[in-house]
Amino acid sequence: MIKSIEWKVGGQQGEGVDSTGEIFAKTLFRYGYYVTSYKQFMSRIKGGHTNYKIRATQERTNYAGEQLNILLCLDQETLQVNEHELADGAVVIMEGDTSVRAEKHYTIAAFPLKKLATELGNALAKNMIALGISGALIGLPKEEFFLFIEDVFEKKGEQVILSNKAAVEKGYELVAQHLQHLVKPLEHVQKQDRLYISGNEATAFGSFMAGCRFLSAYPITPASEIMEWLSAQLPKVGGTVMQVEDEIAGITFAIGAAYAGARAMTSTSGPGISLKTEALGLAGMSETPIVIVDSQRSGPSTGLPTKHEQSDLQHMLYGTHGEIPRIVLYPSTIEDAFYIAAEAFNLAETYQCPVFVALDLVLSMNKTTVPPFDSTRVPITRGKLVTEEEAKSYGEHIFKRYRFTDDGISPRVLPGTAGGVHTASSNEHGEDGYITEDPEIRTQIMRKRMEKIKTAAIQNPYYSKNEDADVILVGMGSTRGIIEEALDVFEREGVRVGHVQIQQLHPLPIDRIAPILTGKKVISIENNYEGQLLNWLKQHLPIHSNAHKITQYDGNPFVLSRVIQEVRELI
Amino acid sequence: MATVKDFKGDSSTWCPGCGDYSVMAALQKAAVNLGLEPHEIVTVTGIGCSSKISEYMRTYGFHTLHGRSLPVAQGAKMANPNLKVIAAGGDGDGYGIGLGHFNHAVRRNIDITYLVMDNQIYGLTKGQTSPRSNHGFVTKTTQKGNKEYPVDPLSTAISNGCTFVAQAFSGDVKGLTEIIEKALEHKGFSLVNIFSPCVTFNKINTYDFFREHLVKVDEPFHTREEAIQIIKQQQGLLTGILFVEEREDFQEQLGIDWNMLAVKEGSMDEGQLRSFETLFK
Ligand SMILES: Cc1ncc(C[n+]2csc(CCOP(=O)(O)OP(=O)(O)O)c2C)c(N)n1
Ligand code: SF4
Repeated sequence: MIKSIEWKVGGQQGEGVDSTGEIFAKTLFRYGYYVTSYKQFMSRIKGGHTNYKIRATQERTNYAGEQLNILLCLDQETLQVNEHELADGAVVIMEGDTSVRAEKHYTIAAFPLKKLATELGNALAKNMIALGISGALIGLPKEEFFLFIEDVFEKKGEQVILSNKAAVEKGYELVAQHLQHLVKPLEHVQKQDRLYISGNEATAFGSFMAGCRFLSAYPITPASEIMEWLSAQLPKVGGTVMQVEDEIAGITFAIGAAYAGARAMTSTSGPGISLKTEALGLAGMSETPIVIVDSQRSGPSTGLPTKHEQSDLQHMLYGTHGEIPRIVLYPSTIEDAFYIAAEAFNLAETYQCPVFVALDLVLSMNKTTVPPFDSTRVPITRGKLVTEEEAKSYGEHIFKRYRFTDDGISPRVLPGTAGGVHTASSNEHGEDGYITEDPEIRTQIMRKRMEKIKTAAIQNPYYSKNEDADVILVGMGSTRGIIEEALDVFEREGVRVGHVQIQQLHPLPIDRIAPILTGKKVISIENNYEGQLLNWLKQHLPIHSNAHKITQYDGNPFVLSRVIQEVRELI
Repeated sequence: MATVKDFKGDSSTWCPGCGDYSVMAALQKAAVNLGLEPHEIVTVTGIGCSSKISEYMRTYGFHTLHGRSLPVAQGAKMANPNLKVIAAGGDGDGYGIGLGHFNHAVRRNIDITYLVMDNQIYGLTKGQTSPRSNHGFVTKTTQKGNKEYPVDPLSTAISNGCTFVAQAFSGDVKGLTEIIEKALEHKGFSLVNIFSPCVTFNKINTYDFFREHLVKVDEPFHTREEAIQIIKQQQGLLTGILFVEEREDFQEQLGIDWNMLAVKEGSMDEGQLRSFETLFK
C-alpha cells in the first residue's frame, strides 16, 4: 500500500491535457486524498508542450512535488521534457504497439490508445483509456471514475457517459492483462468534505463572500480567471463584472463604484498594474476603498506572459507618484487567498485606501484541496460609513469628508445621502475636499492620510515555524510549500531551520517579526532577480550583516532539491 | 425644492469671462428645473479649468484624473443606478487623453450625461494645442500652425451608436440650459459638446466667432447618416439636439436585480457560502 502518488499528464496544447489532469485530480480528491496540482503551459493556444502535475497525499501539502510515479504521455515530447522527474519504478504510459519494457529506472508501457478508442466508437476517449490505466495502476476502484464521469458528462447525455465509462473500463482491462505486476495500490482513506480550488478562484470567492459586488477589469494571464469566475457568479446576487476597455478603465470604474458605495475591485497582472498606477494615487488621495489583485507573472514589459515570477513587489509597495497610504497583502496558500481577499475589503473600507492582494502565477493557476471555508472567521466590517441621520447631525453645508480625527480616519458618506454633499478630490484638499495649496493644511492632511493605516492588520500577517531557530528561511506567496518541504527535510536530518512567510507586506508587522529575524541568519527565497522581499525587510530590520537570498527568475517555480542544496551551502 | 443658491459650492478661480461660468449656471438651472436636489446628483470631472466645475457646483462631486471622468462616472452609476450622474471636463480631457474611454462609454450606453467644455485649447496648462484645435491653429506647441486636423466628437459619437448627441454654446445660456435638461432626462449616454470660449488663450474661437458661425438645428436629424453628413457640411458649427435614439441602457440590458449596496456588517452568509462551495466539489 502506498500513501501518496505523483502523477503527470503531458502533451501538445489543445490535446485535452488540462481536462485529463482535472478529471484525475478531482477523482483522487473525491476519493479522499489531499491533492496539490501544478500546471505548466505556453503562451499559445494550440501546440507547444503543456502538462498537468498532481500530487495526492494523505496529509496536507502546498507543494506539487518532483518525483513522478506515473507519467502519461500524449505525445513524444512529454517523456523527453519530464524524464528527469521520474522516480525509481515509475510507469510511463504512451501511444504505440502494445509492449511493456524496462528502461533505465522506469518502465514504459505502450498501447495503441487511439485505435482502441476508435474501436470503442469514440476516438476522443483515448485519454479516458489512459486515465483508466492510471487508476488501475494505483488500485483505485473503477466506481470512483464512473461517479465522476456521470457528473461531468451529465449534460452531454447517456451515450457520452457510456462511451467514457467503456474507455475507462478498457484501461483497467489493459492493466489486468499486461501490467498487473506494476500495480501499487493506494491506501484507502476516509472521504472528506473538502474543496478543490485554485488561488484565483479562492480570491474571487473570498471577495464574493466579503460582499464584493463589482469587478471591472481587462483580461490578462494569469488573472483572467478571477474575472471569469465572478462574471458567472456575481449576477446571481445583484452584482456585476465589467470587462472594460483597458486597465485604466478597470481601476477607475472600480474607484467610481467604490465611491458610490459598492465593495469594488479590479484584478490584473503586472502590465495592468503599471497602467493603473496613476489611478492608484487617486484612490489614495481621495481615500476611496478599493481592492486590486495583482496576479504576478514574469516581467518586465510583456516578459514571459505565462510564466511564474514574484517581481512586482516594489511596484505594489511604491508604485504611483507621490506618497499614498496603501496596504499590501500576499496570501501564501490557496486557502489564505480566500480569507485575505475577504479581509482586504474590510481593510480597504476601514482605512479608506487601496489594498493590494498579491498572487503569483503558481498560486493563481494551480489547485489544491482545502477544508470548507469558515463563515465566521472574517466578519464584514464597513468602517466609518455614516448614515443619513449622522451626516445631517453635523449640520454642514459642505460635509467635511476629510475631517481630522484622532485616528486619521474620517467618516465617509455615500453619494445620494442628504446632509453629506461634498466633493472628493484628487487634488490636494482641505477637510471639506476643496482644493488648497496652504502649506499648513497640506502638511496636516498628508500626515493624516499617511498615518491612518499604521494599525492596519490582518489575522495572520505571517506564517511561521521554528521561530527560535538560528537560520530562518523567509518567503512570500507560493514559495510557502517548497519552504515547508525543505524544513521537513532538514528536520529529518536533525538540522533546525525556521520559516517565516510574510502575508502582510505593508504595513509590515515589524513588532512581531523583528524578534524572530533579528540576530539570525536570514535567507530569503524568492522568484525575482533583486531579492525584493529581502530588500524590503532590510529597510525595516537590522538584518544586513547576515542576510542572504536564493533567487530564481527563469519563469519556473523552485524545485525542492535546488532549494535544499543552496540552503545547505549557506548554513 | 432646491434653488440655484443650493447648488453653489466653492468660489471659482476661472478667468472673468470664461465660458465655463455659463455651463455651470446652465447646469444649476437645469437641475433646479428638473426638481433635483444637490445630494441626488454626482458630478464627476477630469482635470482642466473646466473640470473644476465639480468643486464650484454643490452636488456630490468627484474631481478625478486627467481624462478619467467617464470611467469613474460610469462606475458610480453602475454601483447605484438611483444617482443622477454627470461627467464633465474639457476637450483636451475628453477627446485627448480620454478619447478611448469616450468611444467606449458611447457604445456602452450607461445612463449618464457627459458635458464637454470645448474651448479648442488647453486652458489649465496655459495654451497648448488641443485635439479640437483647428488645422493651422497657432499655439505654444504649434508655433508654425497645427499640422493635425481636429477630432470630430459629434460624428464619432453618432457613428459609435451614441443615443443622445447635442451641441451648445456658452453664449446662449437659455439654449444651453434647455439642452442640458433634455440630456439629463435622456435614458442612456448623452453627450453635450459645448463651445465654451477660453478668453485668455484662444483668440480665434471667441464668443463673436461662434455668434457669427453657429447654425441652430431645431429638430434632431432622423438618421445617423443624415446627421453625420450635415455636421460635415457645416464643419461641426451647429447647435441643438442633433440625434436621439431610445434604446435600453446598459443596466436595463443586464436585467439583474441590483443589489450592490446591500453589504451589511456581520458575518458572511453561511447559506450562501455552502451553496457556492458546491462549485468546487
Ligand atoms: C496625466 C496627466 N497629463 C497631463 C496633465 C496636465 N494637464 C492638466 S489639464 C490639461 C489639459 C486641459 O485641457 P482641457 O481638458 O481642454 O481643459 P481646459 O483647461 O481647457 O478647460 C493637462 C494637459 C495632467 N494633469 N495629467
Ligand atoms: S484659462 Fe481659459 S479655460 Fe481656463 S479659466 Fe481662463 S478662460 Fe477659462
